[in-house]
Amino acid sequence: MTSHAIKAAKFLGNEARADWHDETLWIVRQKRDRMAASVPEWESLREQASQIKEEALANLDVYLEQFESEAVKNGATVLWAADADEFNRIILNIIQKHKTKNVVKSKSMLTEECGLNHFLLEKGIEVVDTDLGERIIQFRHEAPSHIVLPAIHLKKEEIGETFHEKLGTEKGASDPTYLTRAARKHLREKFLAAEIAMTGVNFAVAETGSVVVCTNEGNADMGVQAAPVQIHCMGIEKIVPRQEDLGVFTRLLARNATGQPVTTYTSHYMRPKPGGAMYIVIVDNGRSKHLGKPKYAAALKCIRCGGCMNTCPVFRRSGGHSYGYVIPGPIGSILAPERSKSGCPDLPFASTLCGSCSNVCPVKIDIHEQLYCWRQDLTEQGKTALSKRLVMQAAGVVLASNGLYNFAGAAGRWAVGHLPRNLLYMPLNVWGKGRELPIPPKESFKKWYGKNKNHGK
Amino acid sequence: MSKQSILESIRQNKPDFQRETGKPEQKPVPVSKSQTTALKSFISALEATGGEVVECSAAEADSLISEKFPGILDFTRPEIREKYGEETPLSEFDKIETALLNGAFGVAENGAVWIEDRDMPRRIIPFIAQHLVLKTEASQIVGTMQEAYRRINLSGTGYGVFIAGPSKTADIEQSLVYGAHGAVRLTVVIPKMPDFEA
Ligand code: SF4
Repeated sequence: MTSHAIKAAKFLGNEARADWHDETLWIVRQKRDRMAASVPEWESLREQASQIKEEALANLDVYLEQFESEAVKNGATVLWAADADEFNRIILNIIQKHKTKNVVKSKSMLTEECGLNHFLLEKGIEVVDTDLGERIIQFRHEAPSHIVLPAIHLKKEEIGETFHEKLGTEKGASDPTYLTRAARKHLREKFLAAEIAMTGVNFAVAETGSVVVCTNEGNADMGVQAAPVQIHCMGIEKIVPRQEDLGVFTRLLARNATGQPVTTYTSHYMRPKPGGAMYIVIVDNGRSKHLGKPKYAAALKCIRCGGCMNTCPVFRRSGGHSYGYVIPGPIGSILAPERSKSGCPDLPFASTLCGSCSNVCPVKIDIHEQLYCWRQDLTEQGKTALSKRLVMQAAGVVLASNGLYNFAGAAGRWAVGHLPRNLLYMPLNVWGKGRELPIPPKESFKKWYGKNKNHGK
Repeated sequence: MSKQSILESIRQNKPDFQRETGKPEQKPVPVSKSQTTALKSFISALEATGGEVVECSAAEADSLISEKFPGILDFTRPEIREKYGEETPLSEFDKIETALLNGAFGVAENGAVWIEDRDMPRRIIPFIAQHLVLKTEASQIVGTMQEAYRRINLSGTGYGVFIAGPSKTADIEQSLVYGAHGAVRLTVVIPKMPDFEA
């Protein structure tokens, strides 16, 4: 089995939890549908969003330079990082320059991608993640399992246990309001003591040099407005050309993510606070190379709403941790082969190709078509599992020959009826893992059609 | 620093997406029908986010606010703004129970209110107060975020934020809890001028 399938099997081992996960994300998907339906111009907004992103990516060098020069005019310091190592060192330098260890951070998948927390920990700096879900998994030394709902894999009893241990909440207490209040108190102390606040970036506006961050909790702002130093970390693809473009994206993002009409806070950072410092770090880390792959460049349009995860039948039933890449789900499965160190060749196969991801995507990324292309490319490159390739090669020979196909059909119908299970479901039958073979018909469709084609005439 | 090498790599790789990628045609922004319709949808959107609404006449707004929210810190008043300036330690802000700020305008489709630097002496106030009260004129409601961004001038401010309802989280089993880090409670007071269409 592939790595994804093994981890998915483990996730499915706890049936009650897997069902809960599946149903909960489906509820989020339904909320999203209601929100989308309430905006009559929804489809036209998606089209506009897609076109704006394509325009931005097609002129990315120009817009990035414009963004930098505007941001510098506003009083920000702009730094560029070619890869994760350089990014981590830049952040360390800023922290050392300001001689502090009190660093808070709101959600940023980019810092996850670069392994920033781990890197800083080795240097003796403990970054406090301030999004509630991220703080929970940070306490538990886990990775987020969803880009918008990082702790969706956990039950409240487990979180209660963790908080009892780390924050001294009552043993056995698992009431979400009680636990959230405890976290609020704990994190307020961290905010008030913070010297540096880091955030991710949802949109960076070339025209004005400002960065936009969207949260529901208000943790990005509590950090940024409390700490003298603010650092915003963005991938090169976060650029939108104009301020007015934000009108299109803020109408789509939260509706498609959680089914809210907008996030509680949509913050626009232009200039440092009086006496403060503002840094913007622009990171490549494989993105510019990715831009040069015609079949796959559209993946860089992603605005990280998580919609494709909530709708994906495989994601809902296998959990984000089964993907083994920092961004899970359908979008992660088309990013990972290009961008992850290991290439994750199993991920494009962790899909039914039902196309639901592409249907919900607010920037119209052809996700399922890219999954299909990756399957072909990875197989050609010899990167898929050997058993899968052997079976596919054999299938190719059989399907190309009429005689062989007829024989194989007859043999198959006989075999499924007569062979013992352990032979039918032997290790080479990857397909049969988790699937039941259908009861074979007595004759082939071809034969049946030959006998019946004149009926009804 | 890697700026030049990153830009060079982008220049070599940037895609053309098989179509004209000039500035996309801007669809006409849907404009809100009437002031009353806009206000109505603003209120229902705001209530759906967990926010509270107080409608009143412009003349009675101030007395109503101080009566309804005793002890409120009114940041529309210069003497209060002075007291909470750059030198004031954060611990003082942490004690704020209820704060009143001017909200420039609201957005009908989602209940959001726009505030920027000029509305507050320190940017932390709308987040650190336990209860945030915003005052936004009934005639200052735009239909959509697309209209909203036509009203804003980002280059003219240092910081600006749309706030739609109280701070919230659903990170524990998707149970909605108000007051994650920011305000636990949010009220928008909506004064109407005598000439507001009824
Ligand atoms: S690929 Fe599309 S649906 Fe998935 S997270 Fe990105 S923007 Fe959202």
